[in-house]
Amino acid sequence: MTVDAPPRRLEDTPLGPAAGGLYRHQSALTGLAAGVVVGFLGWAAAHELVQAGSWGTDRVVAVTMVGWIVGFTLGVGAGNAPLQWVVGRRPTAEDHLYWAGVGQGRARYWKYCTDHKVVGIQYLVLTMVLFGIGGGLAMLIRTQLLTPHSTFLNPNSYNAVVSIHGTAMIIATIVMVTGPFANFVVPLMIGARDMAFPRLNALSFWLLVSAVPCLLATFVLGGVDAGWTTYAPLSIQAPVAMDAFAVAIIAFALSATIGGINLIVTVLTMRAPGMTPGRLPIFTWGSVVGSALGLCAMPAFLLVMLMVLSDRTMGTSLFDAAVGGSGWLYENLFWIMGHPEVYVILIPPVAALFEVVSTFARKPVFGYRIVVGAFVAIGLLSLAVWAHHMFTSGWAPDLAVPFMASTELISLPTGLLVLCLIGTLWDGYLWPRLPLYFAYLFVWDFVIGGVTGIYLSDVPADQFFHGDMFVTAHFHYALMGGAMIGATAAVCYWFPKITGRMLDERIGKVAFWIIAVGIQVTFAGQFWAGLQGMPRRVAWYNPVFQHANQTASVGAYLLMAGWIVFLYAMVRSAHHGRPAPANPWRAKSLEWQVPSPVPLENFAVQPVVTSDPYGYGQADDAPGGPDRTVENSAPVGRDGAERQGTPP
Amino acid sequence: MSSEAHPPAGGPTLRPPFLTRPAGKVCVVWLLLTAIGITVGLVAPRRLLPGFDATTGTDVLRTVVFFTVLATPVAGFVYAVAAISLMGRRHPGSADEPPPEDGAPLRGNRSATVVWLVVSSALVVVMLVWGVAVWSNQQSSAPGALRVRVTGQQWLWTFAYPGTSVQSRTLVLPVDRPVLFEVTSLDVTHGFWPVDLGTQVDANPNEVTVLRTTPDRLGRFEVRCSQICGLYHSLMDAPGVVVTPSAFSRWLQSEGASVATAGRVARVGADR
Repeated sequence: MTVDAPPRRLEDTPLGPAAGGLYRHQSALTGLAAGVVVGFLGWAAAHELVQAGSWGTDRVVAVTMVGWIVGFTLGVGAGNAPLQWVVGRRPTAEDHLYWAGVGQGRARYWKYCTDHKVVGIQYLVLTMVLFGIGGGLAMLIRTQLLTPHSTFLNPNSYNAVVSIHGTAMIIATIVMVTGPFANFVVPLMIGARDMAFPRLNALSFWLLVSAVPCLLATFVLGGVDAGWTTYAPLSIQAPVAMDAFAVAIIAFALSATIGGINLIVTVLTMRAPGMTPGRLPIFTWGSVVGSALGLCAMPAFLLVMLMVLSDRTMGTSLFDAAVGGSGWLYENLFWIMGHPEVYVILIPPVAALFEVVSTFARKPVFGYRIVVGAFVAIGLLSLAVWAHHMFTSGWAPDLAVPFMASTELISLPTGLLVLCLIGTLWDGYLWPRLPLYFAYLFVWDFVIGGVTGIYLSDVPADQFFHGDMFVTAHFHYALMGGAMIGATAAVCYWFPKITGRMLDERIGKVAFWIIAVGIQVTFAGQFWAGLQGMPRRVAWYNPVFQHANQTASVGAYLLMAGWIVFLYAMVRSAHHGRPAPANPWRAKSLEWQVPSPVPLENFAVQPVVTSDPYGYGQADDAPGGPDRTVENSAPVGRDGAERQGTPP
Repeated sequence: MSSEAHPPAGGPTLRPPFLTRPAGKVCVVWLLLTAIGITVGLVAPRRLLPGFDATTGTDVLRTVVFFTVLATPVAGFVYAVAAISLMGRRHPGSADEPPPEDGAPLRGNRSATVVWLVVSSALVVVMLVWGVAVWSNQQSSAPGALRVRVTGQQWLWTFAYPGTSVQSRTLVLPVDRPVLFEVTSLDVTHGFWPVDLGTQVDANPNEVTVLRTTPDRLGRFEVRCSQICGLYHSLMDAPGVVVTPSAFSRWLQSEGASVATAGRVARVGADR
């Protein structure tokens, strides 16, 4: 982009009637129509070509789902620009503006929009939809488990619900920070006008959208009965729902890979002058490390689901032990994805918390280099811990000790992150706004999640706890009480920047307390059941576990109520909240120096960065002092903001 | 990054008593939380975990208690620092404007980091040594072990005793004799989890995995499937019982006799 100081707000540019071309007529609606049509064509073709029998059915379902995804993404507009290259037509400047959403108002949120802020908001809504699906399924699970021999769900429905609860939540938590916030905030933080590949950004989002109906379709296709881990060979004999599941995961893995590459390239190549690696906000570091780790993990997910599809539809036997395959192969590939993946989930929200805590303790991040180093160390170590999920699988007993060692070693960088977080709180001048509430809840929950993890890292103890509710409680504390609460802090923190309105903290604090209590009750109940020896993923259980399960169920209802209140606060504030100033928290990073809502292409004048954004508590004339953090020779803060708003 | 950014806490003569300073308060809260945590850690696992019937179960209980004692001071320290930070200088959360001044410009503290890293590394080493010691002790093969062939299938368990014709749906074990389980599956992956023995291993089709333990207490226990295995996973359990050696040999004889008189053996998984 060579545009410098445009004459007026870009989004007010009048566009000719031809701007955008075919794209003018495309939206999620045409995507839906094209997806249904292509999916139907795929179904009809596969039905005609493939002989009957269970393989035939598997092939038909797989082809239909792939057809839906291809049709949907093309119908929403993913193919337009590549098609233009093919026919030799170059998009005009007007086309680019139209793709970025100019002149479309709210309709741009339903379109294949290239503006990183639109994609960020789209991701935020999609994440909440996924959490809604996963949370609703969790309510079904907890209702089933109120009594030992409940008939609320039949066992097949129960297994299907458990599987999709896990998968929806895993997808939601993987994208919950890098989707909404890395997309919206990182380009602003580093002084870029957009992502490096704006159209790929949109592709990453709409691919994920197309995967959601495939996941939901599993319920009408017989249900996935193998848990979210879908261990083979069970998943090879599962109903045809498994084909839809595999296609959904493949689309998700592609989406995450595309999004990850985009973010990394953006941070590598599009930083403002002076934004050296040592001045990058911690959140940018965390998003990059999380995305890079995702790039290592997602190919394994894609591969293992392709292999499942191959076994199911093409008669291969990659995972069938009777004919030369191996279930352990599946387990290895799955966890080579699965353990880096929990740090893909965890690192970005933790990084966001450093921004939150620094801002609300009015202090620089404690140990900036240690935090960055810890992210990188966790990233590297997490590639070598996967087999701790297989301690009791019987595979390679000789590797139990090395994997126990790597698993326990990863607690060192993780512990350093906790030290730096409380070090940032220490001796601050605390301003307990809502984001800081959630930061405190994170510390409380994450320590519990971490401490209970060390029992599971120990092979002899894991021989009792594997497959037990204790594991469920542990990772819910770490991923929900920890990562998801961190993401919630990020929502509260960046809400004014994203919506241009302040989040209603009165309602937000009501939600906070319900959620905080709900988490403790729910997962304390699960720890209780787990210590007693209740297995995971069972629809019926021994009555000795009933009290523990009732506790967990009551907590889960509370938790759901809390999230509904929080959602109400968000929706209400987004529409009727107090208009937010550009920098309500007086934070120092670049995203707070542009107006809210953020104008298209973000910066009227290229910002020049002279220090890191943590210059709290320093004299104004000191290096890194408040007034020299980002305001500089080419002003973008107060000055730039005004200039953007006024025509020449 | 500068690590010396400590604000001087007044002159040496004017320093308030240790316990009223933030660091002193952290120490008090830390000790309190650690004492509470260790008490809970010593009591709760014994009360909540099943009453284990085997050496492996005792290992689990000891590990849980020991790791709790190791980890509680760390957790207590984190909570104490977070809590005392919150009790220090604080601006009203209702205020629209940020605090009138910033917090201490503390960009790191080398000694705190080094102490933290050294302590957590030491804890990891202790945990690892403990785990390796217990694990290798469990792995050592005991002479005279009773072999039991365990076969999982959707959705039941079969236990066979090599050298006899006995095939049972109940896992019967003699007390105080090492036992070697040879575990396999006929269909999908199952998890052979004799819950109250405190150990488990997966049952994989076309593979035999082994599991060692020694029952050391008479009593009933439950065998569960710990790996989701389809429709009736919830119902895939079997009763188990630890009996005296003499009762065990009587049981083997009577079962063998009844099998012989019945004249047919369900050859479930017996021909590996």
